Amino acid sequence: MSNNSELVLELDNVVMQFGGVRALDTVNLSVKKGEICALIGPNGAGKTTVFNVITGVYAVTEGEIRFNGLNLAGKKRNKITQMGIARTFQNVRLFGDMTALENVITATDVHKKSGLVGALFGSPKSRREERESAAKAHELLAFLGIDHRADQLARNLPYGDQRRLEIARALGTNPQLLLLDEPAAGFNPAEKVALAADIKRIRDAGYTVLLIEHDMSLIMGISDRVIVLDFGKKIADDLPSVVQNDPKVIEAYLGVPTDAS
Amino acid sequence: MNFSVLTSQFWSLCLSGLSLGLIYVLISLGYTMVYGVLRLINFANSEIFMVGTFATVWVETGLTGHTSNSNPLHGFQLVYTLLFALVVSMLASGLTAIAVEFLAYRRLRARGTNRLASLISAIGMSIILSESARILTHSRPQASPRLMEKTSFGHIAGANFRIDTVLVVISALLMFFALDRFVNKSRLGKAIRAVSMSEENAKLMGINLNRVISVTFLIGGLMTGAAAFFFMTVYETTKFNVGFNLGLAAFTAAVLGGIGNLRGAFFGGIALGLLETMSAAVLGSQWKSVTVFVVLVLVLLVRPNGIFGEAIQQTRV
Amino acid sequence: MKLTDINLRDKGAAIWEGWDRPRRTIFVIALIALVGIMPFAGNFSFTSILDTPISSYQDVLVYPIGMFVLMGLGLNIVVGKSGLLDLGYVAFFAIGAYTMAILSTRTHLNAWEILPIGMGLAMLSGVLLGLPTLRLRGDYLAIVTLGFGEIVRIVTLNISVTGGTNGIARIPNPPAIGPLKFGLMNSVNFFWLVFAMILLVIWMIRRLSVRRPGRAWEAIRQDEDVAMLMGVPTLRYKIWSFSIGAAVGGAAGVIYASKVMVIAPQMFTFNVSVLILSCIVFGGMGNMWGVVFGGVILAYLPERIRFITDARQLVYGIVLVVIMNVRPDGLLPRKKREKIKAKTGAKNV
Ligand SMILES: Nc1ncnc2c1ncn2[C@@H]1O[C@H](COP(=O)(O)OP(=O)(O)OP(=O)(O)O)[C@@H](O)[C@H]1O
Ligand SMILES: [Mg+2]
Repeated sequence: MSNNSELVLELDNVVMQFGGVRALDTVNLSVKKGEICALIGPNGAGKTTVFNVITGVYAVTEGEIRFNGLNLAGKKRNKITQMGIARTFQNVRLFGDMTALENVITATDVHKKSGLVGALFGSPKSRREERESAAKAHELLAFLGIDHRADQLARNLPYGDQRRLEIARALGTNPQLLLLDEPAAGFNPAEKVALAADIKRIRDAGYTVLLIEHDMSLIMGISDRVIVLDFGKKIADDLPSVVQNDPKVIEAYLGVPTDAS
Repeated sequence: MNFSVLTSQFWSLCLSGLSLGLIYVLISLGYTMVYGVLRLINFANSEIFMVGTFATVWVETGLTGHTSNSNPLHGFQLVYTLLFALVVSMLASGLTAIAVEFLAYRRLRARGTNRLASLISAIGMSIILSESARILTHSRPQASPRLMEKTSFGHIAGANFRIDTVLVVISALLMFFALDRFVNKSRLGKAIRAVSMSEENAKLMGINLNRVISVTFLIGGLMTGAAAFFFMTVYETTKFNVGFNLGLAAFTAAVLGGIGNLRGAFFGGIALGLLETMSAAVLGSQWKSVTVFVVLVLVLLVRPNGIFGEAIQQTRV
Repeated sequence: MKLTDINLRDKGAAIWEGWDRPRRTIFVIALIALVGIMPFAGNFSFTSILDTPISSYQDVLVYPIGMFVLMGLGLNIVVGKSGLLDLGYVAFFAIGAYTMAILSTRTHLNAWEILPIGMGLAMLSGVLLGLPTLRLRGDYLAIVTLGFGEIVRIVTLNISVTGGTNGIARIPNPPAIGPLKFGLMNSVNFFWLVFAMILLVIWMIRRLSVRRPGRAWEAIRQDEDVAMLMGVPTLRYKIWSFSIGAAVGGAAGVIYASKVMVIAPQMFTFNVSVLILSCIVFGGMGNMWGVVFGGVILAYLPERIRFITDARQLVYGIVLVVIMNVRPDGLLPRKKREKIKAKTGAKNV
């Protein structure tokens, strides 16, 4: 576990209102550099909404979000990604008509200097960048164990590999903070174990991870800290072992299938 | 440029702008209702309008045997003929709208293809309609006979309250309020609103989606058909491509008010009718469509959700 | 076998990837030579079936066929590659044509000098139109571009510099390049000119497709929200796509005006936009070869078969609806295959 208490991400009294629905209600939370932080809560608690406000999909109704101390308000989504936040999606959202490799290369493009004119005339910079990003993309696919899928169309990949490809693509943007939205959804126990190992390796490679997950055993195994949301409010934020026994958390989950295995 | 007409003929321009605007209101309902449920622009709506104008001509000449030299009709016969033409025009447009939905949208929706495919399919449909009309009429304009004497009720503040203008204004207002009530009060109207709020929830509530969508097209078509009849009553001629400019204007009206929003279409239509009439008086009528286009771009630039609109950029991830 | 299962494009691509470099080069040169001698095909009895009854066959090769293939490729960058529905493509064609007409009759500039100006102006108008509209969802773009195409026509009808309804006459042909003259009787040379432009555009698209811009467009087309979240500057690439498409349309306009020598507003109606769109849709959105194929077929058939000449617009409408409903990817759809490794894969095919 990292003892470095430098804050990568801070949400400060964030409110997100959709018409009559208050999806986030004055949420305060922070993520430390180098940690695996889990975000849990019953269905509809507002977890995905947290990701959406961080990545600029929605502008917060109230409050402030800071990344490395910088306020994200009004920043465009692609800018936020460029600053170092990348995410995956609860429902797989790959570029289905591209190959796995192209999916990842597209993400690596975010830090490219050369633009359209360079590409057209094959400038040395553009050629070098194209080579580098292909190599980087292969590396990431290999990191997640799916390099043999590189030349297959994303939509033809098996479900599990699609989920892994989403992670590889997010890593392609070379983020500091990686947001994973239910990466283990639909996985069998063996795949979950493998995924847990992958997430640890990702953290050990220097990324900070904020993870949404329903599977308690997976979370207890790998997270340094667990934040619990319920009805848009934060109800707990502590070590996994503490949160697990928190009566408020147990109450929030009561009757809600957690498919813990 | 001639700004003095704005002061000298202000009320007269207002009156004709209002009647044009109300025609826009009814056409724009064809866009706005469909947009509400499908989140797609009904590209063929302009041709659905065109079909209505042709139906009006057909009824008024074919069924009454009326020619341009015949005497105007009076009394009961006049009312009966006009009502009949209105009903036929509405039905023609309404049925065309259902056919458009069936031929251009339904299969694609069932397959869940992207928006681009539906748009192109709808454009194809609109070309088929207008080209068929062009070939059938040999590109010639079609005139509807003058069934009634366009007498004036009198002048108020320089505005000529001619019988056809008054008729259009009153009936279009009635139509709009009837529709508004229908959508807000009736069961079917509530189903339409439920679908436009959330398709998934509507399905969960056991609403038959295909049926609601067909009904929505039908209602949009009926309103557009009514607009076609009113248009013919005032302007008296049509052509295979009549829908192009009117459609663009009505769409602009819908966007101006906030597409998907009935009352938005009402205010958008009237505002655009007034604006277009005034600008035509000042700049010359050849610049009418340019004005409309500039308004459309400005609205999209400054307030893409329109005056009363929902957010059109909303995404859900 | 279902209609939708036939995929000639993949078959062609597989054969292509099985070839080594010299073989590819020979094939490309042979293909270019074959297309290059097409204008003479009408001269022989066994190919005279290609001849068109109304206009001269050689003219038909330049316009509509060559022009529509060229514009189809340009519009395909916008519609097929980036998924942006532009219904007013004719506007850029008109801007190019009027730039040529006005400048060549009022200044001493010739067609070659005007070509970059016309392309630049078309591009500029593409950017100006794109900035407010490309932020919005696709449907709005469609209707705004539809309006824009119409507005350009109305403006040319109503201002004096464009000659109103009569248009502009006495536009000079381009000056000769070496032995190649571009006069009234030199349709063949015009065809080669257009063909060269087509090759240039194909080269450009191939270049861009496999690099960052192509990926950005592809991502935007498939899922714009996710593209943005993966860091693609979507607005910038949409504007690039739009303005490159516009530049190709502008170039086509300049050459067209210099060939026909008289232009008038009625040549630039919505129908032209529809035709070009149909070429793309018919052949296969997003796939260059499909667009070429679609452009050739849809431009040629109405010239060859008289009874559809008057109803051609109707035919295009039917093409749009039927293709979208039956085979939405067109006759030669975009790549569906898994990529085959260039050299090693050859033996395994
Ligand atoms: N774009 C939106 N418009 C309206 N309501 C929304 C929107 N996005 C989310 N909501 C609402 O906000 C609440 C929280 O949703 P969110 O998707 O964040 O939940 P979640 O915790 O991710 O749940 P799950 O475990 O099911 O993924 C829900 O009530 C949802 O309906
Ligand atoms: Mg969620």
